[in-house]
Amino acid sequence: MLIDFINNYLMNGIVLGCIYALGAIGITLLFGILRFSHFAHGDMMTLGAYLGLAGVWITGQPVWIVLPIAMAATAGVAVGIDRAFYHPLRNAPTIVAVIASFGVALMIRSAIQVIFGVEIRSYARGFERPILLFDAVRILPRHVWIIGLTVVLVVGLQLFLKMTRLGKAMRAVSDNPSLARVTGINTRAVVIATWLIGGALAAAGGVFLGLDTQLDTNLGWNLVLPMFAAAVLGGIGQPVGAVLGGLVVGIAEELATYPFFGGQALLSPAYKSAVAFAILILMLIIRPTGILKGRVF
Amino acid sequence: MISDANLGLIMYAIALMNIGAIYAILSLGLNLQWGVAGLFNAGIAGFFAVGAYTSAILTAPDSPDFLGGFELPIPLGWVGAMIVSGALALVIGAATIRLRSDYLAIGTIGIAEILRLFLKNEEWLTNGVRGITTVPRPFQFDQPLLSELSFLGMTLTLLLIAYVAIERSVNSPWGRMMRAIRDNEVAAAAMGKHVERRRLEAFVLGSMLMGLGGALMSQYFRFIGPEATEPFQITFLVWVMLIAGGAGNNRGAILGAFLIWAIWSMTELVTRQLPPDWAVRAGYLRIFLVGLLLQVVLQRFARGLLPERIRQRIRP
Amino acid sequence: MSLLLEARELVGGYGGTDILNGVSLSLSREEIVVIVGPNGAGKSTAMKALFGLVTVRSGTVWLDGLDVTNAAPETLVKRGMAYVPQEANVFTTMTVEENLDMGAYTRRSGIQAAKDRVYTLLPALKAKRRQPAGELSGGQRQMVAIGRALMVDPKLLMLDEPSAGLSPKVLDEILDAILAINRSGVGVLMVEQNAKAALSMAHRGYVLQGGKNRFEGPGPALLANREIAELFLGG
Ligand SMILES: Nc1ncnc2c1ncn2[C@@H]1O[C@H](COP(=O)(O)OP(=O)(O)OP(=O)(O)O)[C@@H](O)[C@H]1O
Ligand SMILES: [Mg+2]
Repeated sequence: MLIDFINNYLMNGIVLGCIYALGAIGITLLFGILRFSHFAHGDMMTLGAYLGLAGVWITGQPVWIVLPIAMAATAGVAVGIDRAFYHPLRNAPTIVAVIASFGVALMIRSAIQVIFGVEIRSYARGFERPILLFDAVRILPRHVWIIGLTVVLVVGLQLFLKMTRLGKAMRAVSDNPSLARVTGINTRAVVIATWLIGGALAAAGGVFLGLDTQLDTNLGWNLVLPMFAAAVLGGIGQPVGAVLGGLVVGIAEELATYPFFGGQALLSPAYKSAVAFAILILMLIIRPTGILKGRVF
Repeated sequence: MISDANLGLIMYAIALMNIGAIYAILSLGLNLQWGVAGLFNAGIAGFFAVGAYTSAILTAPDSPDFLGGFELPIPLGWVGAMIVSGALALVIGAATIRLRSDYLAIGTIGIAEILRLFLKNEEWLTNGVRGITTVPRPFQFDQPLLSELSFLGMTLTLLLIAYVAIERSVNSPWGRMMRAIRDNEVAAAAMGKHVERRRLEAFVLGSMLMGLGGALMSQYFRFIGPEATEPFQITFLVWVMLIAGGAGNNRGAILGAFLIWAIWSMTELVTRQLPPDWAVRAGYLRIFLVGLLLQVVLQRFARGLLPERIRQRIRP
Repeated sequence: MSLLLEARELVGGYGGTDILNGVSLSLSREEIVVIVGPNGAGKSTAMKALFGLVTVRSGTVWLDGLDVTNAAPETLVKRGMAYVPQEANVFTTMTVEENLDMGAYTRRSGIQAAKDRVYTLLPALKAKRRQPAGELSGGQRQMVAIGRALMVDPKLLMLDEPSAGLSPKVLDEILDAILAINRSGVGVLMVEQNAKAALSMAHRGYVLQGGKNRFEGPGPALLANREIAELFLGG
């Protein structure tokens, strides 16, 4: 019973949470530094997933090998998108950039649909034998990879933000942009770094989701709501909060379908995303600063 | 007499006008929210779909596939659509309207997404993915031309009523206050509760128009299905219409709706000529181009074709 | 006497209307110069104009003889100008030490030496260096803000109301620190509400009103001027 709970619900929740976390970090960093909600972030994850697919097709290597390439390429595209579509709007009210991000979301998605078509695809994945822990807990190797790599990426990001000059400058701009300017911090470098990080992590999240399930062109758009819920839950501008928020939302979504009382699922699996929405609205009403005291606008 | 080819062309033009007029109602609703009150609604499709389903259920004949059999008169379908959409807006607005506009955007996306799930899954109510195919349409005559024309008369009348009503409220003290709030969030915040209420009113009224638009669209096509909540067809197109037409200007909102709808459907004429496989891809290319069009407008013609007439503005 | 900073007939403001209608001032390397004036006189705006944060429509700013009118803050920082704004002048979520690191963002070397110098001038900071600046008292925050500005070894330090909201005792501490900074060879230009305390320690002062120079002269002389005392200084 407990084992079934762990194997079939908790584990999936953690994996989903990792994927949400990778996207939510980008959303929260961008919100903190550029002060706008980047609604194209989900589609940036789709892009990462499909660039990974292209990499697999071209090189014939497993997706783990092409992951860094997909991340780098998506990061580059993210900087290009900023240059072309968001940078020119920087003197306008930030909400104009939010509108633009909707347009960018559609452009990314439709470009993928034109190039790759709308068929459901997958990275070639052989049969995976679950790893058995303590004779009872089963973990799929790909889940180990996803969780492990997420930990590596998150720790790496945290070290970067705490230890490096550029990372600290990112935090400074997020904390107080006008003081950062007065201090002589090069905002352009900070903005580029933010897009590179946001894009790379989004690609990782997209590839992980494509690997765990399948690739379709709506993959990322469906993540927007839970990822924003995660970012708000964790506190806007707080990467660690975004990770916590991602995990909470991911686990909550999976657990909501667990038959806690009797044989029936608590919530029909069709309504999983409603859980994220409920969390989001609840947080906005009772504690908009999130768990880790983020910024409220 | 009119030749067949000409008749086809006329029918096409009237259909274009009909759908354009319905989009214009949606665009007016968004203008009330965004152009006048500065409220960001990213879930237009949600309010649209709620209106469409409400009026469909209220007016459709009895069917084993979905909740129905009320067979109310069509105008009551409109009223029902507006009430339910407005109530939904009231709930979501009450939760998020005092926060920064981004949060309202997230909240409205959320509503639209959840409605999509709801409309797909609650088959007893909505017939699930198959949708409701027996939505009654007013003014059905033997001659298709006459049916189309009278439907157009109806949509244009409703559009005119909506336009006049909004123009009057925008130029009333209520409207002046709305713009003052929009242009000066700081002063607005100082006015406190009062402001939240005004904004909520604008949000609810705009959403009611979106509900009406949904009701009309379902009646025009005699059909409503859950695809209506996909973000592109409704939410995004209406945004492009309003921004291109000129946010803040009701005539701009209407002009943008007709213009963008005309461009959108005429490009379809082109892609329809392509072989099937290409036609699908070209369809997505069209969406891409509309996205690009929005970017160009935002960067180069941010005030739209008919810019808001500059009224006295308060600056911080 | 070579001038470190000279501004002549500055006109400018925020977008539409001009706030500054001809402000002139100068400062040499050894000096502490104080700007006083009623609320809304344009004191902060004048400082922002000097630092490239408000567009100067006409007039000129020279730093060390070089025309730096409307130069970007980043450039001015590199040229040896540092500025502490009136409000929100620390990175609240970052530690004291990280605030200092950010102050040194534009420099590549000598960071540790600069930090040591700040800790010597503002000893209170050393004990708090691992604490987030947002958790400090008002006086300590002001020290962090000043310390952050000093990290570039500026020739000119500009302070906008360093004593705002501080108790008299803390005010004394801050003014002492400013005197020490000045003695270490940094020109200081500051806006102060606490005109009495500030003018008595300043070499020279300017009185602004309505975005224009109204009076200027040695600090003590301005203090002694009855008209000024009645007009602006509240007796
Ligand atoms: N960001 C801004 N945008 C528009 N106007 C501004 C802005 N900041 C200040 N002002 C206006 O400029 C004028 C001068 O303001 P400034 O802050 O320079 O005065 P000050 O002398 O520093 O006053 P205080 O003693 O209160 O700090 C005021 O009328 C103020 O309303
Ligand atoms: Mg001031």
